Amino acid sequence: MKKLLLSFLLCAAAPGFSQSYLDLVKADPNNWFSYSGSYGAQRHSALKQIHAGNVDSLTVKWIYHVPRAQELEGVPIVSNGVMYVTQPNEVEALDARSGRLIWRYQNATPGAGHNRGVAVYERKVYLGTTDAFLIALDARTGSVIWETKMAGASMRYLGGAPLVLNNKVIVGLYSSSGFVDAYDAETGKPLWRWSALPKPGEPGSETWAGGDAGKFGGGPTWLTGSYDPELNLIYWGTGQANPDFIGDKRLGDNLYTECVVALDADTGKLKWYFQFTPHDVHDWDAVEVPILVDAQFQGQPRKLMVQANRNGYYYVLDRTNGKFLYGTPFVKLLTWSSGLTAEGRPILVPGKEPTVQGNLVCPATAGATNWPSPAYNPDTHYFYAVVTEGCSINFRGSDNFQPTSVSSNGTGYVESPEEEKRWQNYVRALDVTTGKLMWEYKQIGSNHYGPGLLSTAGGLLFAGDNQGVLTALDARAGHPLWHFSSGEKITASPMAYSVLGNEYITLISGPNVITFGLPDRK
Amino acid sequence: MRNTTVVPFALLLASVAVQAQDRQARAASPNPNPFAGNPQAVTEGQELYNRTCTGCHGYDGTPGEQGPALGASGRRYLRISDQEIFDAIRKGIAGTMMPGTGLAETDAWKVATYIRSLRGTAIDAPAQGNVAHGEQIFWGKGACGDCHMIRGRGGLLGPDLTNLAGRRKLYSIRDALTKTEHRVATDGGRHELSLAPLNTYQAIRVVMRDGKTLSGVLMNEDSFSLQMLGSDNELHMFARDELRQVVYEPKSLMPTDYDKRLTPEEFQDLLAFLSRLGVSRSR
Repeated sequence: MKKLLLSFLLCAAAPGFSQSYLDLVKADPNNWFSYSGSYGAQRHSALKQIHAGNVDSLTVKWIYHVPRAQELEGVPIVSNGVMYVTQPNEVEALDARSGRLIWRYQNATPGAGHNRGVAVYERKVYLGTTDAFLIALDARTGSVIWETKMAGASMRYLGGAPLVLNNKVIVGLYSSSGFVDAYDAETGKPLWRWSALPKPGEPGSETWAGGDAGKFGGGPTWLTGSYDPELNLIYWGTGQANPDFIGDKRLGDNLYTECVVALDADTGKLKWYFQFTPHDVHDWDAVEVPILVDAQFQGQPRKLMVQANRNGYYYVLDRTNGKFLYGTPFVKLLTWSSGLTAEGRPILVPGKEPTVQGNLVCPATAGATNWPSPAYNPDTHYFYAVVTEGCSINFRGSDNFQPTSVSSNGTGYVESPEEEKRWQNYVRALDVTTGKLMWEYKQIGSNHYGPGLLSTAGGLLFAGDNQGVLTALDARAGHPLWHFSSGEKITASPMAYSVLGNEYITLISGPNVITFGLPDRK
Repeated sequence: MRNTTVVPFALLLASVAVQAQDRQARAASPNPNPFAGNPQAVTEGQELYNRTCTGCHGYDGTPGEQGPALGASGRRYLRISDQEIFDAIRKGIAGTMMPGTGLAETDAWKVATYIRSLRGTAIDAPAQGNVAHGEQIFWGKGACGDCHMIRGRGGLLGPDLTNLAGRRKLYSIRDALTKTEHRVATDGGRHELSLAPLNTYQAIRVVMRDGKTLSGVLMNEDSFSLQMLGSDNELHMFARDELRQVVYEPKSLMPTDYDKRLTPEEFQDLLAFLSRLGVSRSR
């Protein structure tokens, strides 16, 4: 039996492996195939070799320094023992067991900004470039198989990792409007495009004063969404309306900004939307990764979608139809709204809009949470997020703003000077269906974004912080069990995988890819 | 939205890079050289150079007994335009050992054309020949595509050649096809011992603990691990203690007798094809 099992294991890791759509659906925990680890985006690894009882012996296995890089924000992808790490316009393939470089792809266009990772499918690795090309590389050598210019005047790719479905590559793009594009994974041929802004006369255009959303712009789609293979729906968040901090010319709800949208994966058609912050004037992008959870909700089994939004509310939606089920604040400092209606619409507190002189609002524009990934543990039923308590002074650029191509006309990134309203990060665990705070862990010295989280079946939650410390927290109780000072500011989310039966945790910290594991068995 | 501020900078960087790398834009003023970029003139200029200049300079532009290299990697040149090189050939360089030569004006332009070709890559002065026929040879009789990839088509064991002529000089491409000492860096110098393993395409054979063997090319190695691309076109990653033996093959997988396998015409046409393989930076 043991021999049989061994040969099965060898087969599983045997050459010739190329991940199929079925592999992506199953999200085998030995691999980490996508930005959020699975289509449901739970960032939960089923691996449990490293657990609460032995995590204190976790040790560094290898470090790989990404040349010329700093403050990397990508999530490594692991497929069959090969790890793919990125910086803008570059991909490196590493031996996931030893950290040794296998190949490097450098695009001729120098990179800038951020890249949050690649996607893998069959034998290809998909990279978006800063000049809006989607490039398919051979996963074994880094050779370019095809490259497709993602069409559109001044089209920009903002670095969100592509998401691969059944022979489709999904990418978020921006060119005064946010877009979600689909390309044929085999050939690179464009399949469909969804625009976050309705054209004049289309449904939603009436939510913009004058009916022409394009005159203003907005709805950037800069982070990777999630996917339900059974419903065949893609869930993707959209960002702010332009101008960010001035709302009086664009009266109305400004659809489909600050939404999560459900798109038919075959056609790109909008199935439903839910708008978190109608007519947003605080730049609370709703791109935070939407997590898909199947759970009992008020006694009924439901297909849920949950999101801790930058605006300070935690939301529970029915992901089959977008119906709002429940919402509650997940930060104590929330002043702009006094609650949510039965439909989930925020009840506004008057006088909280940005002014030329500056106006205090909580949470800050940087958000009660932001792009760093949340996680969900199906064992504890807790939703985890890095949360910032704090307020900002929000300014509008002028009293008499005229729409132009300039997207931003003000700022909300000015920290409140009042001591109790200064920014402070916490890791918080919420009951996934009630949003009740189960525990919190204060990250001393961390006050801005904070990297994302990794949950594991070993009863652990891995959290990095601004001070460069990676901490393993007890998933149920929230107390630290192990920590490591990485020596660099951490701006990326950790992930987990295994090779030949050994579990590894990888953290990108600054320019370094650091992989941890248990001590070798002698 | 968060990334707004960096994008103009990114566009600026990109445009600087395009400008810097656009070889067509290099000649700001009209080039007086009647043979600029003319492959025939490069060939004739090479013959003239080797006959006339190698008393001091080295053969094919290499360092000589008394004169410096004219096309070596890593050198910075004081005379970079065709006119400056032409003037040096005709009039010599005052204060140095470089005399004015007796070359006719036409011949001096051809030598200047040749010297310029040494400094660029193959795509700046591609070989003459039937390019379409050369492509047929590449995928057919030459079987180059069994190991090399061009624009997503072809084999994996050898270097991707999509931008070959944008990286390598013509003579280095010719050497790779005909000489055993051809494991070279990107600009076509001699075999560099400091190359990272993934650029050497070192042929290896490993024997695993169960006795199975696997051939392929080395991607990387250290004292504890080894990464290779097998002849099965798959990546294989080993800990050293999983291997009983590692054999570094003395010969590259790359055949070096293409001047014998192919007719002279086929060889020239293959060169014509290879020396035009480039990726436009401006896209």
